Amino acid sequence: MSFFGFEQQQDLENEKRKFLEGGLSGAPQDDVAVFTWGEDSYDGLGDALQEGGDELNDETFGISGPVGKDFDFSGTALPEHEKPTPSQASHTQQAHQQAQQPSQASQNAQSSRENDPSHASHLDAVWSNKSPFSVLPRSNGSSRAHDQLGNSASKSSSLAPSVPQSTSMQKPASLSLGPDLHKGVHTLEEIEREMRAAAAAQHQQQLQQRQREEEEQLRLQQAQQQFEQLQLQQQLLHQQQSQSQLSNQALLQSPSRTHAPRQVPGPQHAAATPPPRMHPHSQSPRFHQQQQQHQIHLLQMQQQQQQRQLLELQEQRERQQRQQLLELQEQLRLEEMERQQQQHRMQQQQMHAGVNELMQSHLIHQRLNSGGLSPAFDNRARRVGRQSPLMTPPIPVDVPFAQNMQYLPQNIQMQQRLLAEMAQAEFLNTMQGASLPERETRESREMQEILRVEAMRKIMEAERMEEKRKRKLDKIAHMSRYNDLMTQSDKDFITRIQVSQLVTQDPYADDFYAQVYGAILRSRMGLPTSEDRVLKFGSGGGVGLGLGQKVPGRRQSAMQRMEAQVERIVNNARLREKEKSSLNNLQGALGRTAGRSYKAAPRQLLQVDSNNVSTSPTVSHASAAHISKSDAAKAQEEGEGAAREAAKIGREALRNASDSTGLVHRDPLTHREALVKLEQLYDLVLDLEQRRRDQPSPEEVEEFEQWYVYETQECSALIDQLFEQLMVSVPLEISTPHPFISLITPIKGKKLLPRVARLLDNDRMQILLTLLVACFSQLDVVLQAPLLDTLEETREVKDLESQTQAFLGSVVQSILPVIAKAQMRLVTGLFGLLLDRNDIVAIARTRPGIALLTLFLSRAEVILQNVANGSEVDETPTPDELQSWCVMLYNHLFELLRPHLPLLFPSVRLSMLSGVNFTNIPNSDAIDQPVWQFFASLACSANDAQQQVLVGGLRDVVLENVTTATKGLGLESEEQRRLRLANVNLFLHALGLDSSQIVV
Amino acid sequence: MRAPEDRTRSFDLLRHVFKTLTDQRVTVELKNDLSITGTLKSVDQFLNIRLDNIKVLDEARHPHMMAVKNCFIRGSVVRYVQLPAEHVDTQLLEDATRREAATTGKR
Repeated sequence: MSFFGFEQQQDLENEKRKFLEGGLSGAPQDDVAVFTWGEDSYDGLGDALQEGGDELNDETFGISGPVGKDFDFSGTALPEHEKPTPSQASHTQQAHQQAQQPSQASQNAQSSRENDPSHASHLDAVWSNKSPFSVLPRSNGSSRAHDQLGNSASKSSSLAPSVPQSTSMQKPASLSLGPDLHKGVHTLEEIEREMRAAAAAQHQQQLQQRQREEEEQLRLQQAQQQFEQLQLQQQLLHQQQSQSQLSNQALLQSPSRTHAPRQVPGPQHAAATPPPRMHPHSQSPRFHQQQQQHQIHLLQMQQQQQQRQLLELQEQRERQQRQQLLELQEQLRLEEMERQQQQHRMQQQQMHAGVNELMQSHLIHQRLNSGGLSPAFDNRARRVGRQSPLMTPPIPVDVPFAQNMQYLPQNIQMQQRLLAEMAQAEFLNTMQGASLPERETRESREMQEILRVEAMRKIMEAERMEEKRKRKLDKIAHMSRYNDLMTQSDKDFITRIQVSQLVTQDPYADDFYAQVYGAILRSRMGLPTSEDRVLKFGSGGGVGLGLGQKVPGRRQSAMQRMEAQVERIVNNARLREKEKSSLNNLQGALGRTAGRSYKAAPRQLLQVDSNNVSTSPTVSHASAAHISKSDAAKAQEEGEGAAREAAKIGREALRNASDSTGLVHRDPLTHREALVKLEQLYDLVLDLEQRRRDQPSPEEVEEFEQWYVYETQECSALIDQLFEQLMVSVPLEISTPHPFISLITPIKGKKLLPRVARLLDNDRMQILLTLLVACFSQLDVVLQAPLLDTLEETREVKDLESQTQAFLGSVVQSILPVIAKAQMRLVTGLFGLLLDRNDIVAIARTRPGIALLTLFLSRAEVILQNVANGSEVDETPTPDELQSWCVMLYNHLFELLRPHLPLLFPSVRLSMLSGVNFTNIPNSDAIDQPVWQFFASLACSANDAQQQVLVGGLRDVVLENVTTATKGLGLESEEQRRLRLANVNLFLHALGLDSSQIVV
Repeated sequence: MRAPEDRTRSFDLLRHVFKTLTDQRVTVELKNDLSITGTLKSVDQFLNIRLDNIKVLDEARHPHMMAVKNCFIRGSVVRYVQLPAEHVDTQLLEDATRREAATTGKR
């Protein structure tokens, strides 16, 4: 064997291994790479394309002739510095062996090549296809670049007649992916041996086959005509065999040509042309990881391919053996058939089985060899394709994104399987058809046709599905183009920035609006309002989460994940903050340490100094607003001076005024003063409310008690302050209107009252109520109430309307519980005060007045009924009180109102003003309703004579209302009619009557 | 003296108000006189606004906006935002402003 230069090969393999193991470091002198891209010679380019470690392969194995020096124009062999040192790696030695140190091995190799040129070329082909270096980029062999440069002229000239030719020869080798990339050292040997064995076997077999064929032909010619079918069959089989043989040969000769282009295009393509924007250096680490995985995948693919090839070789051998067996069988059978015609069919079936087996094995092989389509089947498929114009050849897909490509082999595989199945079916059919009688042949043809149609349909369907899937994949690929552009830490960083903007020390307070609004909304929707929508962190701080009104499942989990992440981020940030605050990390930091820059906002144009907000409401805040800080300081001094001046003047004026009229009298609060005071009140109320909210849960006993002791003191102090500022206890005569009335004149004052009422105890509320009753006629809504008796829609009327609504909604609602709990003494007292201090007729003509009167009357009625029923009353009213109520107050009220009974109805007043009948006043029923309620409560307490007076006084109104309601005159809807009747009945029922008793 | 972060702080209240208005229809008037009505999706601390199912007030004048279905509006280009009155608790908003004023006053 040494004749064939196997020692040399061993050397080569060693060299290769060393190269792979990084043996290049053994050539320290050569690791300066010289690039000659700028030069005009092809030499540099051609050499650059050559792979490291095997650039002399062509010299070593490629050509049969000895390396001549005919074209070595440089004269001597090599420059002096190129001489290899003993320490140099073996591959460099080898590289120069032929030029400088002709060794025994190289001589052997040379001679072997000379002696066996075909073998050498064969080996060369294998080498060029399977060289692991052919796929490695040039940079790996950079150490060779230098001496290549030196040698290039002589080498290339000795290698091939022209340089471009040599490069073009090398190019395909370097571009095609060698399948045996990582097989290791022994593959070459193995493969070579196998291939040689295969070639020999093939040769033998072909010879045998030809012999046998000839024999068979002879015999068949001798055989009778009825065996013609069989002959046909035989020929078919032979055809098949020869085709497969052909394919085998083709596979052997160029395994990569048949397989590589089909199998590897995806990954190869991916590796070759990544999307332009995916430049490795601009990628995140994950991308690189992916790339690496991709390459690993590539290598795996190659390994698989290699294994497949080996399998293929084995299978080929097996198949050949089987074929031989089969042929032997057949021969035997033919002889038998000559003697026994009857058994013919049975045997044929046997052979079918054999053929089936063959086909099956072939198919299995086909499936294993998923990529390549053997020529035989290719032909068949093509033939089928020709036969059926419907079937479209698989369209070459132009996939824009490399990720998609890896799915392609599967596509092809599937299509091939389909084709193979179809081909098998067809093959079997033809086999059977050939052996069966005419009729059966026709049938089988029909069957065949049906099968083909079916197969085509299946293929079309598969293609359609494939198209669909491909489009989907394309879309996904398109969308996932930017996947993983940001690493997790990038994302975390941004989240951190965003979250740090949201985290505050008091999430509830800072998110006040959203929190309370959410709570109100939830309570309105009847949901539990227990927990705050606040994400709290260990030591204070947190993020307000807002409403969270509708949280579907997916968002919920996302929310939870966000919460967890935010918590983690915030805790980390806090930890870092703590570290930063310690002085240790300032060590060595010169100058300022960088703070967080993302919170820096642009300079504000308008800067309001909050310290400058003066407590004096009379002072204008002109000094508070400044364009810039520099003159702000100056202006502030001036402004402050001016403010003090103004305040002094104002105070003096006030003192003069109060001095002149006595101690207790002073000017009423101006609108502005009232507003300022209201704001202070609001601040107090908000503070108190916040304290209520901060109340720890009663379960935490210790904390709660501690809080209770502290907070009750604090709160009571605040409430005292609040009450004082409400100016309820200021003498009545201090001003007109009373300061308290001034305070509840603005709509926000009215709206404050219910919240104040919640905080004040009953005693203080009674004082407040007393004051309100005493100064009732001073109220804006009472004073200006006559303005409401108009049908015009002016702005004032609208404002007054909203004020009245606010009074009824807020003030009356806040005093309602006080009156509802009031004892007879309080009721009589307040009622007396009301009658005493106010013009009751004027009050009764206003809606607030009617409401207040109704409240008192109904409360008194309830107390009286309680007394009459003997049911428990907290404090049974003394007879004196009852007496005073009945005689003094009620009768007094009744007598006062008696002449004006119908005029209490707003609709009547409106009709008097406008001349329209009161029943035709728009919306009359709605505005009259409180008055009907008042009359009902009045009627309840009335004695017989008073009831007569009531009925007499209201007779016209009642009759008119009942008439219009029952006849439906001027009433658009049923609802209006019902409301009108209900109003009348409210009053009539109090008298023990009903509207139905009135005969119109 | 106010810290620089007060600017974003002053946006906080508005942001919280907008937070309660998510999924409501609002009209955003931009400084370029474009009025966009849409479903409010989100508002951040710069009062950048994200709207869905948008409709421009004067479509004839802004035909290029006809095909746009959703948008992200930079907070600085917003002139006004018209809120649905029924979804704003004015009294609560007043309270919130008072609190805001109180806390910034203390600072």
